[in-house]
Amino acid sequence: MSEPIVVKTVEELKSAPEEYREAVAKLVISHAVNELYGAQVFDEPAIAYAPTPYAKWLTCRVAMEEYGHHVRFKQLGQQMGIPEARMMPGGAKKPLSIFEFPLKTWEEFVAIKLLADLAEILQVEDLLHCTFHPLRNLARATMPEERFHAQFGEDFTAELVKTPEGKARLQAAVDEYFPYLPSFFGGSKSKNNEIFRKWHIKQRTNDEMRQDFMKRATEVAAKHGLTLPEVQQAA
Amino acid sequence: MSDVVPLPRELLQRVAAEVRSAAWFAALGDPLTEGDRADAAAYIQALGLGALAVASARDWPEAERILKSPAASTAWWDREEALRRGLLATLEQRYPERVLWTALTEFTTEAGDLVHGKAAAAAARMGGAAPASVHVASGAAAQAAYQFALARLAQDAASPFESKFRLFAAGRWPLGVAGSRLVLF
Repeated sequence: MSEPIVVKTVEELKSAPEEYREAVAKLVISHAVNELYGAQVFDEPAIAYAPTPYAKWLTCRVAMEEYGHHVRFKQLGQQMGIPEARMMPGGAKKPLSIFEFPLKTWEEFVAIKLLADLAEILQVEDLLHCTFHPLRNLARATMPEERFHAQFGEDFTAELVKTPEGKARLQAAVDEYFPYLPSFFGGSKSKNNEIFRKWHIKQRTNDEMRQDFMKRATEVAAKHGLTLPEVQQAA
Repeated sequence: MSDVVPLPRELLQRVAAEVRSAAWFAALGDPLTEGDRADAAAYIQALGLGALAVASARDWPEAERILKSPAASTAWWDREEALRRGLLATLEQRYPERVLWTALTEFTTEAGDLVHGKAAAAAARMGGAAPASVHVASGAAAQAAYQFALARLAQDAASPFESKFRLFAAGRWPLGVAGSRLVLF
């Protein structure tokens, strides 16, 4: 492993090794694109499905925070010299497969917040000790909002499972969406992940994160009497 | 030949300045003033939902009960949404779409951060708010700021989003229509 470097500012990044700069840029682009996809495909459409004004405005806030995450990652990318077009949907970055399925019900949104945002928390957690400090700081600023989004999922899950009908609809949504989530964490032999860890930009292997996610997702589902469908874990 | 024109950034900056100087959530629970009632009447008329009385909520738990009621009508919400979509469609014809969306996203992000802090301060000052209600309040206020920006960009002075914003700017939170009443917090 290389001697870890610490890059405290965007200015310092200019003199970092090329492999380090490219690795950081890939992560920033990935977060900027996926935050925007998530807000557009799930959070904003969910406002219409929310059952009460309380839930609608809460969902508004969640959607705005997700858009806000995109804005902040994009601003960091622009400071780093990444063209804006590369940080928008339609650029070179391929969307995650889960974004290809438009939201149809409130229960689907609750399932996504409960489980997909847990996956997002793990991704952000892995950046909390990143050697590129502007990205580390952005992850730290984002984390409370990500935790709130997952809590949103838990709170509305607790509401839905109070009735057999609500629980059945939520379980169906979990069964539909959960199989897409393990691949969030990338391939087991990812070259990118190897480079991220080499430079201490990220801390864990994709498989370690995936296993942690499966454990935490199983726990939170069981807490509310839900089950997770069998999935193939290795991407 | 295209009718698309550059986005008027100075106008958007003036809207952002109005958002920053508003008295977000400063008058929650206070007795309604004549000004509040006049803005509420203008909002009701512009929304076109017929005659509605104006009522008030005294504290956060009462506001939460009103907002969570499963019997609450969402006709006012649907009417606002239809108007919002109409304004957005007009603006997308007038301005470059990606520039418009980017500007509105950045505007709403800034407004959202501002009003979240104001809502948290009001909840701490008054007590009794559920933790999630601060997020609900900031969602409502940031949505109002966004709707206000759309109305201003579309130069729609008769929009209900003008009077709705004035209510927020005066420290109120319009909670929506419950039965035959518009409820202000």
